[in-house]
Amino acid sequence: MFSTLIVLIVLQFIQPTQNKSGYLLATDITNIYAVPDSVEKILKTACYDCHSDNTHYPLYAYVQPLGWVLNNHIRQGKKNLNFSEFGSYSKQKQKSKFRSIASQIDEGAMPVSSYTLMHKNARLTNKLKSLLIQWAQQSKIASEK
Amino acid sequence: MKNIITGIGVALLIGSCNAPNDKKPESNSVVTDTTRKQTYTNNTEAKEISSIQEILNGYLKLKNALADDNANGAADGGKAILKAATKFNSSSLSPGQRKIYDDIAEDVKDNAQHISENSDKIAHQRQHLEALSVDMYDLIKTFGGDEIYYNDYCPMYNNGKGATWISETKDIKNPYLGKKMPACGAVKEEIK
Repeated sequence: MFSTLIVLIVLQFIQPTQNKSGYLLATDITNIYAVPDSVEKILKTACYDCHSDNTHYPLYAYVQPLGWVLNNHIRQGKKNLNFSEFGSYSKQKQKSKFRSIASQIDEGAMPVSSYTLMHKNARLTNKLKSLLIQWAQQSKIASEK
Repeated sequence: MKNIITGIGVALLIGSCNAPNDKKPESNSVVTDTTRKQTYTNNTEAKEISSIQEILNGYLKLKNALADDNANGAADGGKAILKAATKFNSSSLSPGQRKIYDDIAEDVKDNAQHISENSDKIAHQRQHLEALSVDMYDLIKTFGGDEIYYNDYCPMYNNGKGATWISETKDIKNPYLGKKMPACGAVKEEIK
């Protein structure tokens, strides 16, 4: 029991590197596609934590090993879709990503329930969902030009 | 002082032992590289065609597995596509064609990877089949396939939004709805 406590205390000193670049890359989605303010607001509150280079960290992220678990999710999320690097994807891939964004939100797979459980702001109303889906579909058409 | 001298001596010994070893494989690899390059230039055309064909073969395996509701088979098909696309050497294509190929291939690899990693989520595999099928259509249209292919259309998939797939046979075997509705769909276009 005592040794477990010691290990937990020691763990607190090993903080993972945070996913925070602090600046906007040239490849950022907002530099490549038209992103209305209403849509950008949704992206920021419900998507960017795991799908961009800038995570807004909750307090529990500073408690280990929770922070590591979180960082693992972020790494996985960014691998599948990173809005900060969207412009570095090939045109065909951008088109596919917009298709996936629309379908994932439509069927409720995104934002994932494990995330919305802790982030109430990320729970999207049907109105916000359709706004985001509509934007993804319009952007998909724009990516084909 | 003595220690330092011994140290330097040891370092020199190690250095001199390593030097010839370092060089040998290097010169060897240069030789094999040139031979490999030569055989490659000789067979460029044949290799490339077979390579796009390999990607297509992986895709056909994948969509046939999905038509049979076989998620593990689909994952294997995804792996085969990934392997073929990684192996493909686009450097001998004309700059214009290479640009088109690289553009499509990046998406092919991404979709194939998702399908290979989601053998427990067949619905998710089918979502990526939709994008992958468009990729295959574009590849065949640009580079041509060895055989005649059919661009099939299923109007029911994705709540009536519909989706296409590529088939090697004229008969309909729907990979989106699987065994539930195997005959749903129609040939939209014959492609070569």
